[in-house]
Amino acid sequence: MQRRSTLETLPIGKDATRAALDKARETLGTIILGKDGQIALALACLLARGHLLIEDLPGLGKTMLAQALARVLGLSFRRIQFTSDLLPADIVGVSVFRQETGQFEFQPGPVFSQLILADEVNRATPKAQSALLEAMEEYQVSVDGNTRLLPDPFFVVATQNPADQIGTFPLPESQLDRFLMRLELGYPNEENERELIIGEDRRAMLEDVESVATPEALQALQKSAANVHMSDPLVDYVQALVRQTRESPDIDIGLSPRGALALVAAAKAHAFVEHHSGVYPDDIQAVFAATAGHRLKPAGNTTYRSAAELCQHVLDSVAIP
Amino acid sequence: MARARGTDGSLLGSLPWTLAACVFSVAPHVQFLPVWISTAFLFCGAWRYLIERRRRPLPSTWLRILLALACFLGVLSTYSTISGVGPGSALLTIMAALKLLETRARRDQFVLLFIAIFLVMSSLLREQYLWSLPYLLAAVFLIMTAWLRVSAVATQPTRRSFATGGRLVLYAAPLAIAMWILFPRIATPFWAVPMDTGTATSGLSDSMSPGDISSLSLSNAVAFRATFEDNIPEQRDRYWRGLVLTIFNGRTWTSNDPFAGPRVHEQVAPIGDPVAYQITLEPTRQQWVFALDMPWSWTLPRTFMGPQQQLARARPIDQRISYDAMSYLNYRTDVDLTDYARSWYARVPEQSNTRTQALAREMRASAASDAAYIQAVLSKFHEEEYFYTLGPPPLGSNPVDRFLFDTRRGFCEHYASAFAILMRAAGIPARVVLGYQGGEMNPVGGHMIVRQSDAHAWNEVWLDGIGWYRVDPTAAVAPDRIESGVSGSLLDGAGLAWGLSASAAFLHRLTMTWDAMNAKWNEWVLGYGPENQKRFMEWIGMDDPGWRKMMLTLIAVVAALLVMISGLLALRYRSPKTDRAAILYKRFVNKAGIELRTGETPVVFARRAASESPFPAELIDEITSTYLNARYGPADPIAMRRLESAVAAVHRQ
Repeated sequence: MQRRSTLETLPIGKDATRAALDKARETLGTIILGKDGQIALALACLLARGHLLIEDLPGLGKTMLAQALARVLGLSFRRIQFTSDLLPADIVGVSVFRQETGQFEFQPGPVFSQLILADEVNRATPKAQSALLEAMEEYQVSVDGNTRLLPDPFFVVATQNPADQIGTFPLPESQLDRFLMRLELGYPNEENERELIIGEDRRAMLEDVESVATPEALQALQKSAANVHMSDPLVDYVQALVRQTRESPDIDIGLSPRGALALVAAAKAHAFVEHHSGVYPDDIQAVFAATAGHRLKPAGNTTYRSAAELCQHVLDSVAIP
Repeated sequence: MARARGTDGSLLGSLPWTLAACVFSVAPHVQFLPVWISTAFLFCGAWRYLIERRRRPLPSTWLRILLALACFLGVLSTYSTISGVGPGSALLTIMAALKLLETRARRDQFVLLFIAIFLVMSSLLREQYLWSLPYLLAAVFLIMTAWLRVSAVATQPTRRSFATGGRLVLYAAPLAIAMWILFPRIATPFWAVPMDTGTATSGLSDSMSPGDISSLSLSNAVAFRATFEDNIPEQRDRYWRGLVLTIFNGRTWTSNDPFAGPRVHEQVAPIGDPVAYQITLEPTRQQWVFALDMPWSWTLPRTFMGPQQQLARARPIDQRISYDAMSYLNYRTDVDLTDYARSWYARVPEQSNTRTQALAREMRASAASDAAYIQAVLSKFHEEEYFYTLGPPPLGSNPVDRFLFDTRRGFCEHYASAFAILMRAAGIPARVVLGYQGGEMNPVGGHMIVRQSDAHAWNEVWLDGIGWYRVDPTAAVAPDRIESGVSGSLLDGAGLAWGLSASAAFLHRLTMTWDAMNAKWNEWVLGYGPENQKRFMEWIGMDDPGWRKMMLTLIAVVAALLVMISGLLALRYRSPKTDRAAILYKRFVNKAGIELRTGETPVVFARRAASESPFPAELIDEITSTYLNARYGPADPIAMRRLESAVAAVHRQ
């Protein structure tokens, strides 16, 4: 309630955008029920200028989360359904010859949107995948020798169905690294599921959702998130965690320096979303599984069944300075 | 026994390390220790390991006390003393072995590693060779690593333990070097290392009994090394004078007191140019000092020339010494012997070696002069069937007779002895000189190596108007021995001085390089005494280095090194800044009586504390949020003050 009062008393400048973020989080919470942690992570991922990979079974609200994010934050949204016959041109666009002008005209593909949902990204061939991944990395695409900048902010939410094995092309580790976070949504709890069943249609709700932010406000928020204070003990903590991933006998390949940077950026954004005065150990722990999980290669003989468990084990074995 | 419970196997990981460190540190002692002690050590090590493996109980206290007593008595009866290097290291080894039998916990292993360090260091009291240093470093490195393995968490990878152990040794190295260089050296140390007198080094003995021994020349050990200032004398002129034997009892030559009689230095009249050189003499445990014939001056304190022109020190040489000397290869000794001295130097026991005496009288009678007689005797050796061999047959009670008339085989001692008797029996004063002949040039180090195998015996006869005159009968028999060294004179010399006779030139070069390294090691490391230290200090620019100055420098350098090393360590192991907020929060955690789990954030802990600690949830929340702000947020004095008052409230409760 305090937050709202801030919004009312200080409707301008930095605090206004700050309040918009809280509002966005609140709104998302009404659409996707009981997933406050994941929503905070998704927002943090966005604020840290990272891309998001959601890995879960169908029907758990992956698409809904992406759409809601776009809607709430006022971003242009396109969805690309990845299939095995998807071509790079289907993503980035093609040049079409116009008879009337006698010239080629570029028809931008769906990638020229601020938020893209790449659905079932592992269904497409590596060639199509790499077209998207290149755009994610470079924030630009090259078509017919012309380099075209992508809109800013540019945010990719890719989904992947871990149960699908046949006819898929799982993303290699090097490309997984392009995603700042990998999330799992998981089933809602009983209470939330009941509300989902008896409540209003989510799709209709989405229609009613008002944008609380503009792309410009989002850029300002991203800048603020990067400036969150990070204390020395927290730097030590990050280093200790990274060292532990490299030395743990359960992990073959630990976090790279890029992984450490991702961890810090995500933690800062998370601290910003959570209104912390600086990065707290809780922020690191909150983002750790999402940022480190897909970057670690577990050892063959490890007893931890999932990346999340492995990450929890790492967290449990490093003292917080 | 009911209370004898088996071990829990918890030491299985660290025990092999401790055992390895102990074995490594006992190893240099093994060649000096009685076999039963080494065996006992190995037995106890294996026993202790099996106990841990099979989860058996440790031996009972009574058994251990009995074993300790038995071993102590064993050492006492083996050495008949418990002081000295030998019994000391034996006791240390026994201590390590028995300590293994009561090693229950980590603490005991630390004690063992302490003993291991002692053992390694005490091996230096026995020998300090060039390779001792790398071995020592390796041993310390291994002990340090074992220490880390014993103390550190078991999950640490071995590689990391080795790395840390190596780093510890590296950190210590500059300190050790600084102390070694700067610690003031004292000419005669107050403390003396109690040397084992039992371990004899090979070398010349005080007496000579040809026919008794035949193995002297086989030792390849270095007797001394010499560095010449400019020109190096010819092989045949390199007679390194040692002691002079004057008394013959029919079987054995001995010397009389070298200090009896007048000082005779001035009786030597030099001819020609002197030869200047430096000698580094290995310890002989005797008083004889070797120099080229004839020594003129030497820079060795308390060393005098005896009446037979032999150099001797007041005390036995039990350390490696180094001295400059100058000699004249050509000289005359204008000694005018008294009648008594003449007869004394011509004394032969009448009842022994009668055939030789008869032969001498007969040959002297047919010779025109003393000089002609000497020539006749040498021609006899040269022309008749006399052989030079290192493996002569044993001679009986009249060795000279047996040698001259029957066996006719021998080496320098036999010829020198026989020659002297032949001279004396004819009334010519004669004596035997023991020393070394020849020496091999080391092209790598630029110095000359004189080995025990170069040991030699020759004669001096007194001639009217000439004085003492050197005659080498061996040269008449085996000129090669004098011209090209001992290995050249033996047809069956394979295996003697293996570095020389080995056909591969490479091997020879290797031996020479090793020898040169040893020479430098001896000169600069082992020989780093007061003089070398003074020279070194002056070289690095300290004028008038005294022990006070050096001590102050040492303290300054060590302090500076300590600061540097600690700085390095501080950089490396930057401890997380435990600021005020962390201390306050720790106080709260302690007061709450719940242990903070590894990796538990304050927020999670607060949740637990709210239900498990006696403090109200509001207070816990206040502490947690102010702590997070104060410690992890930007500097915030207000949050800190709030945290302080909240923690104070906890203490009041």
